[in-house]
Amino acid sequence: MATQHSKTAARWMISPAVIMLLAWMIIPLSLTLYFSFLRYNLLMPGTNPFVGFENYEYFFTDPGFQAALINTILLVVGVLIITVVGGIAFAILLDQPIKGQGIVRILVIAPFFVMPTVSALVWKNMFMNPVSGIFGHMAKSIGLAPFDFLSQAPLASIIGIVSWQWLPFATLILLTAMQSLDQEQLEAAEMDGASWWSRFWYIMLPHLSRAITVVILIQTIFLLSIFAEILVTTNGGPGTASTNLTYLIYAQSLLQYDVGLGSAGGVVAIILANIVAIFLMRMIGKNLDA
Amino acid sequence: MARTISSRQTTVATIAAWFLAFLMFFPILWIVILSFKTEGDAIGTPFHVLTSGWTTEAYSAVQERSDYPKHFMNSVIISLGSTFLGLLIAVPAAWAMAFVPGKRTKDVLMWMLSTKMLPPVGVLVPIYLIFRDWGLLDTLTGLTMVLMLINLPIIVWMLYTYFKEIPGEILEAARMDGASLKSEILYVLTPMAVPGIASTALLNIILAWNEAFWTLNLTAAKAAPLTAFIASYSSPEGLFYAKLSAASVMAIAPILVMGWFSQKQLVRGLTFGAVK
Repeated sequence: MATQHSKTAARWMISPAVIMLLAWMIIPLSLTLYFSFLRYNLLMPGTNPFVGFENYEYFFTDPGFQAALINTILLVVGVLIITVVGGIAFAILLDQPIKGQGIVRILVIAPFFVMPTVSALVWKNMFMNPVSGIFGHMAKSIGLAPFDFLSQAPLASIIGIVSWQWLPFATLILLTAMQSLDQEQLEAAEMDGASWWSRFWYIMLPHLSRAITVVILIQTIFLLSIFAEILVTTNGGPGTASTNLTYLIYAQSLLQYDVGLGSAGGVVAIILANIVAIFLMRMIGKNLDA
Repeated sequence: MARTISSRQTTVATIAAWFLAFLMFFPILWIVILSFKTEGDAIGTPFHVLTSGWTTEAYSAVQERSDYPKHFMNSVIISLGSTFLGLLIAVPAAWAMAFVPGKRTKDVLMWMLSTKMLPPVGVLVPIYLIFRDWGLLDTLTGLTMVLMLINLPIIVWMLYTYFKEIPGEILEAARMDGASLKSEILYVLTPMAVPGIASTALLNIILAWNEAFWTLNLTAAKAAPLTAFIASYSSPEGLFYAKLSAASVMAIAPILVMGWFSQKQLVRGLTFGAVK
């Protein structure tokens, strides 16, 4: 069916997409790599001498780097734990024959569609503000001193906000996987006297394992790049208490205008993301064969 | 006996599910409530907020801030524009890969996907400098292009999975009946492909509307869409709760409605077919 003629046509149809993505990927990537070896600051115009690995040295020895790396890991792992555990619970609950299931699902999924700047600002002002936020009012009404979330526990607060945004995603994926579970298998196990816990552990969890892996990998890709939530809530502070790698690189390149340093950081971020991406790609690739 | 247990179980599950769903949705519900309050009432205790009078003055105040409609339109333009351009490029590509698969089709698909895994901050500096030198900073053209490119892999991938589901036998049957290539595409394939294209467009509009890395870094006053505009409320204007709420409700309402219609596509689009 696929003649030579149609093959040529197919190539023409694919090439615009390929060329554009290739340009979008190769040009900036090679520039980032190139800049990372230059002493290049926008505030100091002039020649941009080649300095070898100097920027990388500065980047790795920057006290902010270590903090940012730890914060990035805490942020990703924290959100993953909350959303995966919560998502499994939600998926199992919503898979029951509950009344008004459609509406419940709509309400649970809604936070995912709220733009990041809105959800961050709403949590920052309406909930976490110690003076006029809901949590502050609640603390006062039972006689406690209000807690200033974003200055006392900035990273934990951001983990909370981001988890609220991503829990719906995990729930949706896991619920979809849950619905493909053979109900008869569960009933048979129940008849044989298997407790709820063993049904969960031996039937539901293994069935969900693939979806859980997908959730973890995809969320990790997105969570490594969390930016807007930090920008509008804490600006990475106090100090570097809530600075992640993405925010650190942004600050170095667009706030301190240090193109060389920011680019070195960019290269590091790309390498980190690629480690995760390799695993994800392998899973998706396997699925493509099936 | 078994019946009564299961019906009690259902009741418990129903109550738990509704309670948790209410908690998840509460922040959104709360800004909807606050948006109908005066500034004075909005910062009061929750009890005061619920018992005070209702007004739409925050909405008119936000509308009157001359720039709100402009930023809203910017969001509409970049999300529709990037989706339209993306489809224009992706439909032929996905089509060719699904119906005339070659030896390298899988490699091309996987490679496209890998571009999506690139952390945006890794290319922030060069893109920023290129935009600056080409005068694209803070322009709708530049932003539309970037959003189109970052979502192109998802569009191609989603369309591919939809097109793949169109059975090839139908084409052969049409050909046997003497249909020309043109009528084959027009009357057989297109009607079957439209739902997939529409779903893809829907998901892409949502993703573009909510994108908050490039929109924040590449725009200032002129081309800022709602994501960046709302971010400008971060201080000290954010303390005007009613106005912030009204602006937020208007910014998220259209996408919330679209999102509810696109739950299935979301799973397909964001997991690249790994979960169905």
